[in-house]
Amino acid sequence: MQPRDPAEEIKRLQRCLNDLMSVLAVPAMWSGGEPSRIVHTLLDALLRLLQLDLVYVRLNETGGQAPMEMVRFPQSPKYIAQPHEIGVVLTHWLGPDPQQWPPLMRNQLGDRDISIVPLGLGLQGEIGVIVAGSERADFPQQTERLILSVAANQASIGLQEARLRSEQKRGASELDRRVAQRTTELAAANEALRKEIADRKHAEEDLRISEEKHRVIVEAANDAVVSMDEEGAILLANPATRRIFGYDPVEIVGKPMTMLMPEMMQKLHENGFRRYLATGKRHLNWQGVEVTAQRKDGQEFPVEVSFGELTSDGHKLFTGFIRDISERKQAEDRLRASERNLQTTQAELARVSRLTTMGELAASIAHEVNQPLTGVINNGSACLRLLANNNLEPDVLRRALEGIIADGTRASTVLARIRAFIKKEPAEKSELDINEVIQEVLVVLAGRELYENQVLPNHQLKTDLPSVLADRVQLQQVLLNLIMNGIEAMAAVSDRPRLLGVQSRIDESGDVLVAVSDSGTGFGLELDRVFNPFFTTKANGMGMGLSISRSLVESHGGRLWAAPNSPHGAVFSFTLPATGGSPE
Amino acid sequence: MTGAPIVFVVDDDPSVRSSLKFLLSTVGLQVESFDSADAFLHKKRPDAPSCLVLDVRLPGLSGLDFQRELAARNTPIPIIFLTGHGDIPMSVRAMKAGAVEFLTKPFRDQDLLDAVRIALERDRARREQDKDVMILQRRFDSLTSREQEVISMVVSGMLNKQIADQLGTAESTVKVQRSRAIEKMHAESLVDLIRMIEKLKGPSGKAG
Repeated sequence: MQPRDPAEEIKRLQRCLNDLMSVLAVPAMWSGGEPSRIVHTLLDALLRLLQLDLVYVRLNETGGQAPMEMVRFPQSPKYIAQPHEIGVVLTHWLGPDPQQWPPLMRNQLGDRDISIVPLGLGLQGEIGVIVAGSERADFPQQTERLILSVAANQASIGLQEARLRSEQKRGASELDRRVAQRTTELAAANEALRKEIADRKHAEEDLRISEEKHRVIVEAANDAVVSMDEEGAILLANPATRRIFGYDPVEIVGKPMTMLMPEMMQKLHENGFRRYLATGKRHLNWQGVEVTAQRKDGQEFPVEVSFGELTSDGHKLFTGFIRDISERKQAEDRLRASERNLQTTQAELARVSRLTTMGELAASIAHEVNQPLTGVINNGSACLRLLANNNLEPDVLRRALEGIIADGTRASTVLARIRAFIKKEPAEKSELDINEVIQEVLVVLAGRELYENQVLPNHQLKTDLPSVLADRVQLQQVLLNLIMNGIEAMAAVSDRPRLLGVQSRIDESGDVLVAVSDSGTGFGLELDRVFNPFFTTKANGMGMGLSISRSLVESHGGRLWAAPNSPHGAVFSFTLPATGGSPE
Repeated sequence: MTGAPIVFVVDDDPSVRSSLKFLLSTVGLQVESFDSADAFLHKKRPDAPSCLVLDVRLPGLSGLDFQRELAARNTPIPIIFLTGHGDIPMSVRAMKAGAVEFLTKPFRDQDLLDAVRIALERDRARREQDKDVMILQRRFDSLTSREQEVISMVVSGMLNKQIADQLGTAESTVKVQRSRAIEKMHAESLVDLIRMIEKLKGPSGKAG
């Protein structure tokens, strides 16, 4: 050691003393603080006191505390590095074991040499390490090393304390946590207990409400609710029983259930009930069976009954829910009646439309033909008048005759046109099952024509007939026409049944044949004329029906003819060529 | 001056029109024919008794509609309907609406001629009646409004004194106005005057 100026030496020692005082004062600033704050204060103090170029701290991992690295450089740093990078370099220099570290090491950091002093924190450096570095060649002087080691000791104590405190704190909080947990558990147990008590109360309340509810439902039910025991005696009846049956509930309790039934139901019920008790077999559906019940005043009415059975204390209890369905039945009847009406209406409609078509055709024909006839008659009458007065000029007569001839020609043209019109009705032919067409026509007529005219229909339809190629509507018209003719021909018959026969079969030439027979008045000598246009035996007939029918059948390649029926009436038959295929 | 009776024929069929004309001419009737209701409506009617022979089935306005139309226009003319194919409801409707006859074509000549005769007679009577009313109306219109007022009150059965009170004039004034009105109306008596006023109040009159 080289001799120094004593004054200088004193000054240096004084400064060292001051520094030591400062270092010793540092813990006051960190008392009770966190390790990071202790390290901060320490690093700042050392950097300032020893004018270091680098000071680094690493704190090892301890229970609950993550490892921590920190580094400080002077205000105008010569190095810029992250604590971790410094840590890696230092570990590389100093080696992993703090016990093996040299007290001083000089090494190159960046492009400069730096003196490094590592100091363990804690007795065996178990807390961590603090490293001070300076570029000064004389670093560390004795005083500096002293200050460093004091500072390290101070820090060790502070960090130990902090660690202790944190452990205490952790212990305390662990205790708190456990206490809290236990408290929660206790509270939960308490709550569960309370809930159980409440649940029991609820269950009791529910049961009470449920019973009350059932009672209210039974009391308020629209249906009569009647219970009986195994003896068939009524145990209970709800208020609706009075409305439906007319009995006061009190009045019938203890009486046999059969008092609510008409006599013919009573035996059935008793037998069925006895059999059920003996065998367990039900003689009728227990859910919604329709039976007849009897009111107090003896009136019978339809009800729908559902039964329930309950066994209590070894005894069976039967409860019936009885609904008065009189109104429903009436509504159903009304519905059925209106359906019948609808069918009648449909039939009526078919009839009217047939009559309308024929009526319109008749009106049209009448108008068309009557116009020229009027001309003919007027001209003729006028001529006769003039002739009577000897006042008929030949010129006038000629003009009148010319008019008459023109009108006559016109009338015959009108008739020819009508014939052509009827024949030319476009047909839409398809493969048909003739029996189906017959059924359709009979359905239309069944509602009204047959019923009202007291006609007994008798159809013998051969199954598996081959199909025919025909226009369905035209066939219907032909059939309708023949059947209506038959019905009308029997209108005057009162001394024998009015029989209408409709028969379908294959004739000897393999054609499909349909015969419509009646037991009416027949036609005697008029047999040949019935198919002539405008021939009629009816008061309000046009005499066109059979003529048109024959045209229609002939346009299908068939024939239509009439024959007397035996012993009374007529048979109209027509054939249609079979297509060879059978209708599907 | 009243002209000779005339028969109007409305039918869309020319042969019916011409033969009708021929037939009606044999009894000396004048005939005018039309092929539609419209054509007839556009024709100015002559001042003569007339009737209408009308086909029910017409293009455009049908015969029955035409009858209603004429009634609505207050054009009274007796109608004889002809139809090619009449049904009962149709004829009932026509007769109710005032038709003289409803004939189905073809008809007997005498039936038509009878119907035409009745129709023309009916129209003649109506015209007479109308003419009377017209004359009375003209006389009534020549009265002063005060005279008309007094007459109306007299007819309604009020005494002269009451009329004077109501009109605020002297009874003598009412008497003068009353006798002047009777004179102007050419009434022979008070009863005659009342009859005249009643006639005026009828279908074509305006008094009252």
